[in-house]
Order: sequence, then C-alpha cells, then structure tokens
Amino acid sequence: MNHRGELHRKNLHTVFYPRSVAVIGTNKVRGSVPGDIFVNILQSGFQGIIYPVSPREKSIGGLKAYKYVIDIPDEVDLGVIVFPSSVCKLALEQCGQKGIKSVIIISAGFREVGEKGLAKEKELLEIAEQYGISFIGPNCLGVINTDPISRLNASFARKYPAEGNIAFLSQSGALCTAVLDYARAKNIGFSKFVSFGNKADISEIELLYYLMDDPKTKVILLYLEEISDGPGLMRAARDVIMKSHKPVLILKSGRTEEGASAAASHTGSLAGKDEICDAAFKQAGIIRCEDIEEMFNIAIAFVYQPYPEWKRVAIVTNAGGPGVLTTDAVVKEGLELARFSEKTTLSLKKSLPTTANIKNPVDVIGDARADRYVAAISAVFKDENVAGVFVILTPQSMTDIDSIAKEIARVADQFDKPVYTSFMGEADVASGIKILERNNIPHYILPESMCKPFHTVYNFNRFIHNEEPEVFVSGHPPNLVAKELLEKAIEENRKYLNEYDASLVLEAYRLPVVEKRMATSAGEAGKLAAEMGFPVVLKVISDDVFHKFDVGGVVLNISSETEAEESFRTITESVKEKMPGAKIRGVQVSKQIQNGVEVILGIKKDPSFGSVIMFGFGGIFVEIFRDVSFRVAPVGKSTALQMIREIKSSELLSGVRGTQLRDVDAIAEAIVKLSFLAIDCPQIKELDINPLIVLEEGRGCYVADAKIILEN
Amino acid sequence: MEKKEIESRIKKVVAHVLKLDEEEITQDANFIFDLGADSMQSMLLIAAFEEEFDIEMDVEKAQEVQTIGGAVDFIAEYL
Repeated sequence: MNHRGELHRKNLHTVFYPRSVAVIGTNKVRGSVPGDIFVNILQSGFQGIIYPVSPREKSIGGLKAYKYVIDIPDEVDLGVIVFPSSVCKLALEQCGQKGIKSVIIISAGFREVGEKGLAKEKELLEIAEQYGISFIGPNCLGVINTDPISRLNASFARKYPAEGNIAFLSQSGALCTAVLDYARAKNIGFSKFVSFGNKADISEIELLYYLMDDPKTKVILLYLEEISDGPGLMRAARDVIMKSHKPVLILKSGRTEEGASAAASHTGSLAGKDEICDAAFKQAGIIRCEDIEEMFNIAIAFVYQPYPEWKRVAIVTNAGGPGVLTTDAVVKEGLELARFSEKTTLSLKKSLPTTANIKNPVDVIGDARADRYVAAISAVFKDENVAGVFVILTPQSMTDIDSIAKEIARVADQFDKPVYTSFMGEADVASGIKILERNNIPHYILPESMCKPFHTVYNFNRFIHNEEPEVFVSGHPPNLVAKELLEKAIEENRKYLNEYDASLVLEAYRLPVVEKRMATSAGEAGKLAAEMGFPVVLKVISDDVFHKFDVGGVVLNISSETEAEESFRTITESVKEKMPGAKIRGVQVSKQIQNGVEVILGIKKDPSFGSVIMFGFGGIFVEIFRDVSFRVAPVGKSTALQMIREIKSSELLSGVRGTQLRDVDAIAEAIVKLSFLAIDCPQIKELDINPLIVLEEGRGCYVADAKIILEN
Repeated sequence: MEKKEIESRIKKVVAHVLKLDEEEITQDANFIFDLGADSMQSMLLIAAFEEEFDIEMDVEKAQEVQTIGGAVDFIAEYL
C-alpha cells in the first residue's frame, strides 16, 4: 500500500467514528441533498457534535450555523461537503486549513460529466494531498455507520438501516438506496454502508483494508462498475479473506462487452474483460455474485449461520414436490444428500407417522405441526453425516406456521450446524418468515435457492483453511535477449514478432521450443532437415506475414531432403505470389513432434488486471467450446496445475479410455515460465503458443508455434 | 461604462436578489460559497443582470462566473 493508502487507513476511522461533523454547504430546505444530509445526521442519533456550515443561515435545526468551517471554534473530525461542484475545492481548502483530515464529498458534477468535471476532481486531489486529507466521493450518497457508539448517517438515504454485521460498499449511489430498502424489508442489518462514488481518493481497496479490522463487520459486499486497480483489489481482498476470514462478495456490472472478437490472437479473442475478472476474483478468493438477490442470499448464510464442514445436507419438508425439486437442485449444485445413520432412521421412525418418508428428504407429511418438525430437525441435526439442514414448509390449513418458525429457531440454536429455510408462498407464510428473519435463520423464497449459498459458504470455508500462499520461483532475472528483441521490433514499428523471433523470446525464458534453424536457400533447407532428422516442418519467416497458412507459408510432414528443398521453393513462390510486397527473411526448418497432444497457452494484457495467462486445449476445444482457463500473472505452480485441472477437457491429459497420461507437470512449468515472461516484458500485448505439444508423462512438452503481438 | 460603476450596480442587484446588505458583498465574494446563492438564485441573478444592463448574456458561460469581480469583467464585455 502506498503513502496515500496508509493515510486513508488512518483517516477512515474518523470517517466512521467522528467526534464531530461539519456539514458544509447545508441549508434549511427539506427534500434537497444539502438539507436532508444534515437532518439525517441529526435524526440518526449521532453520538458526536454537529456543526451546520451555511453561508446564509444563522441556525439550522436549532444549532448555530457557521458561515465558514474555519469559523467553528472547536476541533472538527469529519467534513461532509454538500456544496455544488464549482465550489467544492474552496470548501475542501478550508477543511485543510481547519485541520480536518477526513471528508465526504457528496456533490456531483465531476468526472461523470466529462473533461471539465475530471479537471475539478484533480483539483480536489491536489488539495487533499497538500493537507493530508482523505476523502470519499465525490458524486456519492454518503456513509452510514450503525455502530451504537457512533450512529452516523452522513447520507441522503431515506431510511437509517438496522444494525448488523454486513458491510456494503457501492460505486453506485442509487443502488445503495434500493439495497437499503430491500434489506429493510428482509430484516437485514448493516455494520457500515458506504457509497464511494467516483472513488477519486479513497477507493474500495482502502475500504476493504479498513473493514478487515472492523469488529462489527463479518461479511463485506461490494458493488463495482469499474476496476481501476485490479492487482490492488486482488491483494486487498485476499488479505481480508486470509487474515480476517471475512468473505468478500462482489457484484461487478458490465458482464457483456463488444470488441473482444476483434483481437488479433486466440488469447486476445478468448480473454474478454469478464472472463479475466472471473479468473482474478477466483484467484483472490472473492465470491462473484450474479445479482443483488444472490448477493444477499449468500451474505445471510455467511453472517447468520455456522459454516458447513462438508457437503451433505438433510432436507425436512411437509411437501413431497418441493422436496424432490430441492433434491434435484442439491445434486445439480454439486452438493450431496446425507445418508442417515441407523440411529437417525430409528428416531425418525419413532417420532413420525408411518406415512412419513424417513429417508432423505424427510417428508413429515402435509398435516405436520411444529412437534413433527422439531422431531425431524433434531434427529437429522444429531446425525454426524449431516452438515446442514434445509427446512421446507408449504402452508396447509393445519400448518401452525409461526410456531414452526419459532421452533426451527429454537432447535437450530442448539446445534453448531447451519439451517436454511424456505416457507413457500407469500401472504400466509409472511409472519413466519418475519420470525425466522428476526431470529437470524436464513430464509429463501424458493427452496432451490438454498443450495448455492450453502455450497458457497462450504467452498469459502475450505478455501480459507486449505489455501496455501503461492510460491513464485522464477529463477531468471528479466532476460536481456528477450528485452532486446522486443524493443528492437518496437523501434522498427513492427506490430508483432514473427515466429522465429517469438521462439527466441520464449527460449530466453527457458520455455521448451522445438529445435529450429533458418534456411535461406532450398539446398540449405534440405541439408538442415537431413541433419535434424525427419519428419520436419518448413515455415516462412517474414515480418510482413502474420497468418502463414493463408499465404501457403507452411509445409508439414516433410520426410526427405528432396522434399524439403521442394517445399522451400513452394513456400517462397507462394508467399511472393500471394503477398508480393512481403520481405522474406528465410524459411524455418523445425523438427515435427509426433504423438503429442496439442494445447494452447497465451498472454493477454488487461487494462485492469495487467498480464493474464490463458491455458486451453488446441483445435476445436479452443475454437468452438472456448474451454480455457485464466489467471492473473504471476502464476505459481500450484495455480498452474489448477488452471490445467479446471478446464472441462482436462481428462484428455490424464490417460482416460486408453489414451496416454500426458506430462501435466511440464505444462504447469511452462505456464509458470510464461507468467514471468509476461511480468518482465510489458511490451507484449498478446502472445499465443499454439500449439504447445505435450508428450507422455515425463517426456515434456514443446512450443511448436508462437506469435507475439506488441504493445504500441 | 466604468468598471467601478458596473461593480456598484452588480452589488445592488445581488443584494436585492439574495436579500443581503450591500456591505456584506465584497469584490472577491463567491456567489455560492460566500453569498449562499443556490441554483435557482443563480438563474435569477443572470436574468436580473441582463435587465439591469440591458444585455443578453450567454447563459452557459454566465453560469461559470463565480465571483463579483468575475461578473464585472464578464458583463463589461457586453457593454
């Protein structure tokens, strides 16, 4: 974390726990942002002192108003600026003069309106740097801290939320108000609630670090529209997750994008922003959510219930159909139905009617009242094969909904295992759902919705306990040969490196490249081929030819000296005919590797996350199925092995159905080396190794073709 | 017209629109930050200046003027 980052961590405490707040630019107009923010602070029961600062008013809300913040005789911890954007810099300057270090700038009219606004934002940053101020915003809804020792609502949200253990951070202010309303209806409370707007100064990264140490926060939810520092976000999230064991859930908008198909390489076209974002989040242990509902579905599972130790669930239901639907969802999600012990089965048999189903899912039958639910839930909770319980209820005429809700909460409290519920319907079950929510029992409208939160919490629990810090062993300092080749090409205004030069760059990073030599005449090609041993491949080498196959620049399976000589002539004539202006440097003679499996490796530089490494199978697997995996560089060996294992076609490397076991270890090492090349050489925009030919286990792998597209 | 006269007439208009004492209005006073004009009052001020000086101003540019001194220079260009 840089100097500003350190400062923000210190100053963020007074954003949330100020002893005094000045609302700068407020007025008496209810229904206006400057007026409502002041009223919200006043009405939330703020535990400190409030100073209205208004050029026109003598008093607001019964408190003496000051013309300027510098007129306030006492020390002020937090400034909340609500002036129009044109004078925010004057207000911030006075905050600096007053010695205020923590500021929230609510005002809009900055980078979101264009160049002029961006210039104003830069002026704010200069002032902040001059005075050692940290500020949230501009263009934000504000900040809420429900901790009773602060009770700060420095926002223009309509309602003050309940106290809870979920922190919500959002780049969008409007979404915040919707989330507050949604959460209120579901009895979900918050520890901290922050709309950080344009994140001109304090960003989600510093907020994550602050919340890592916040005892009131157990789960962090983050809504992002734009990732400006991907590696910083990954580091911060991973630190939070691994050091404090607090889950970080992110809803990132902008899943769709145009333009990836215009990329020049396979890796470029496959590595869309969203795929990279997915990979980066996975690498950091971040849980990516599809929508707000899913985010809260998962958050309540984290915050209200114990984490499941394993994947086997018990279902208790009073309706067969929903039980079956949930069973399907359990299996589809990758969870398992627990197989009950004899003791559990006996207990269920004794306490349930003979018509009940005592196997999992347990059907307590439609006329079940609270006593049957209690008997079934208690029995399955006690079973050591059960990691958690899903309780389903449909409202029949005799179903005592509220009593069942109370009893679920009472029984769940006696066990250190999670229980999730689904009271199906709406009007009849509403009061029961309220009871569950008030007792911190997660409730889901559809029973199928219980599966993903359960699985997510289970996976997170495994992640924090099993994940080992990645070890990066490069072994090679930045390589001068590679650097010179790349810089020379850029000086000559080349957009890419031809295969021959690209191979030299890869060799410089000790990637295994097939033996190759350059021939400048047919005779030389024949001689080199004979020396190498057949079969060989001949390929044209030209800085002007990117797609060699398209111009007849490649001949495969050459098995004699004469054939090599003829191929040389065929290639040069074809290229001259199809690309008359192309300058041919020579024809590359290389060994043709046989009996290998073709995979593809690649690099793509992403504006948010930096260099990203791709792995996939060659041919149709990459072209049609897009069966590839990504990670942000650098990549250690264990991550490289995960990349290989996680693609759907990875079994093709593990010797299934009579195929041979391939040298997966060698691929992983190639991925690691490639990732260091990516880190060391920012000149590379995209790189494809296609194919990397993988031999049987222990015999290695070889780069058979490579392309490097340069940054310019 | 002399700039001093423009300034004096501007101060009178501002005092009237914003309901302030003329003595409170200094040459470097910022309409929003020092005098507390809100967005509606800013528009009223532009209209009042146009009437006072019998001119038609570029409203977008007029809204960028922040201080009394700035208004003097801006209006002087129309006279």
